[in-house]
Amino acid sequence: GDALLPAPQSVSILSTNMKHFLTWSPVIVQGATVRYSVEFQGEYEREHANGSWIPISECSLTTATLCNLTEDISASVSYQLRVRAQLGATSSAWATTRGFFSRAMTSLTPPQLRVLAEGQHVLVELADMGPSFQFRVLYWKKGQESRVQQKVVKEVSSTVHLDTVEAGAEYCVKAQTHVEAINRSSSFSPTQCVRTQGDTSVWL
Amino acid sequence: GACRVSMSTEEIRAGFRAIKANIQSRDPIRSLSILSHPHSLHKVQSSDRCCITHQLFTFYVDKVFKHCRTEDSFVNRKISSIANSFLSVRRKLEQCREQNNCVCGEESTEKFKQILANYEGLNVTSAAMKSLGELDILLDWMEKSR
Repeated sequence: GDALLPAPQSVSILSTNMKHFLTWSPVIVQGATVRYSVEFQGEYEREHANGSWIPISECSLTTATLCNLTEDISASVSYQLRVRAQLGATSSAWATTRGFFSRAMTSLTPPQLRVLAEGQHVLVELADMGPSFQFRVLYWKKGQESRVQQKVVKEVSSTVHLDTVEAGAEYCVKAQTHVEAINRSSSFSPTQCVRTQGDTSVWL
Repeated sequence: GACRVSMSTEEIRAGFRAIKANIQSRDPIRSLSILSHPHSLHKVQSSDRCCITHQLFTFYVDKVFKHCRTEDSFVNRKISSIANSFLSVRRKLEQCREQNNCVCGEESTEKFKQILANYEGLNVTSAAMKSLGELDILLDWMEKSR
């Protein structure tokens, strides 16, 4: 029965910006459609629930070789994942991730931002990255790199207005993300500079 | 004692919100409360707050979650998410206990005894489901006492 179907290989977790996925290599059986089922085990299950495993219904009997774990890996503990192949009534052995995964291991990329000068104002548009993310925006007047100002953005509204900017000056901006749940920050985005419009008022 | 623990009740609350109606529908005895009988958690003094929080998180981890397995995969996954979050927070509370910032006074000891008595007064599955269904009582109290 079970021994005929090989277990999936190259089982690994890809995690970027708090989005976690399990991937594996397909099991090839000529002329047949192999399906897969994924289960997870958190530290609670390991230590307090007899090592039980919890199936992920969206990844039960799936033909995909990728499973989204984000909803289930939602606590700051260590997890293990496993996947097996199924063909009709035959199931392979479970292939279990080596070692443990914790969401603190996710890789954090710098935020995507767009810096605009609108008249005498500087605006920063930040791409939304989900509820876990805060943003730290640093900005300074070009040439005054030692006088950096900071704005922390907890909820991404479409646009961030930078305060206390002068007319006709060039301002540079960079930003990083911060994830409170794992107490980590990304590296900074590349710096972008814009020039505000000059003072157009005329003494009459 | 004073014990500062960084935790996101919002993640736990979001998980609970998703299954609250399902869990509470499994609790036929609505007139009884595990956490609030006879006295509300809000009556606990601030000096006892750390201790009773640690006792309650231990209570949920050791006694409640394991008896809440259902036939519904979605519910089981959310309970796992909550249970693992409780485990993570309890570990931080334990660090407070080790630094002696989480002293148990007479009041919290009495209050926790009452909660255990309420729990053991029911059959284990009913008691576990009722306790899980009262999670927002615990979360509300924790947020109000920040």
